[in-house]
Amino acid sequence: MSKFTDIELDPGIVQRAARGDVRAHEIIYRAYGTPVYSICLRFTRVPAHAEDLTQETFVEVIRSIAGFRGEAPLGAWIRRIAVSKALMFLRSAWHSRGQSLDDDWDEPTPDRVPGYPGDADQAIDLDAALATLPAVSRAVIWLHDVEGFTHREIAVLMGKSESFSKSQLSRAYQRLRPMLQAETAATDGKTSVAGAALGSC
Amino acid sequence: MPDNEVDQDETMNCGLGVRERELLYAGLRQLPEAMPPRAVWQRIEAQAHAEGLLSDRRFTSARFKWIAGTAMAAAVALVVVNLPPSGTDTGGEAFPTVPAYTEQNNAVALTTLTALMVESQELEDDLRSLPSQPQLVRAGTAATIAGLEEQIAAIDYRLNDTSIRMSHEQMELYWRERVRLMNLLVQLRTAQAQRSAF
Repeated sequence: MSKFTDIELDPGIVQRAARGDVRAHEIIYRAYGTPVYSICLRFTRVPAHAEDLTQETFVEVIRSIAGFRGEAPLGAWIRRIAVSKALMFLRSAWHSRGQSLDDDWDEPTPDRVPGYPGDADQAIDLDAALATLPAVSRAVIWLHDVEGFTHREIAVLMGKSESFSKSQLSRAYQRLRPMLQAETAATDGKTSVAGAALGSC
Repeated sequence: MPDNEVDQDETMNCGLGVRERELLYAGLRQLPEAMPPRAVWQRIEAQAHAEGLLSDRRFTSARFKWIAGTAMAAAVALVVVNLPPSGTDTGGEAFPTVPAYTEQNNAVALTTLTALMVESQELEDDLRSLPSQPQLVRAGTAATIAGLEEQIAAIDYRLNDTSIRMSHEQMELYWRERVRLMNLLVQLRTAQAQRSAF
């Protein structure tokens, strides 16, 4: 599902990049620049921050690629650098305000999903819905549901516990649930039975 | 579905039903990607170069050669068009009334080339003056922009490759194509900026 793992590059490009060949690095950037920028933008929602993080990510790639052994796919390696940088940014942003990541849900966000007035005919606007989530929850849902990270991996990346990751995901789902329920109901033409909560985390 | 199968059972207990999860995953998959602005690679290259992480070979070639090449071509064109042959008395005229260079066609070709280079640079300036790409970009638009940028990059690479000897006609062809592509890119990005402004 992740765009990072869909991309394949000639191993020779990586070897050339490891020797500092700028052309090889440019090829790597052309291949992975969009997914890196997209994930940074998804996490921060600010293009200027996403640009800075993309720059930091690829400078780190240039700095470290000589040590890349190819044990994991190149895309997965670059993704991990990008995610680390983006999470570090989120962490530093929170720290700078004297808050911890746990306070994320106290951040003011819109009460309801924009573009979703509760009307079943309204087209789903997942992007707008994600925008209503606190940054850390948005990152967790993205890492878990799109990039395929486990809660354990997310916990390690965030320097938190697994239960923290699960809790963030659960709260994000709760926030998105009314919209998803309405959408499934609209699709089925009736109130979704499957849409009922199966429990809580 | 994501690869983290172990976690799937856990998500079943997080308040979403099967249909809702499927809808969510499908929605997340369909979200468009955003391309980084063109300047980001230049910033990466400049920082990496400043930190001594890259071999100098291409950094000095790509942008520098492009600018140097443009300047050199412009200088040659000016010399060819404006200066009289050595030893010729212009008779006090500010400018020669007869083209000094006997191969008039070559002079015309060079000025055309210079004009194309200048136009190309102006379009680059126009592009830089536009706001950065919006967060949400239509997939079709993003693909078109990416395609144009790739074609322009390919032309730049060719024009900067010193191992290729090109005739004036060939160079003009490449520069004309670059201007055409840059025009399309500027038009597309302008329309995109106008749309995102509303």
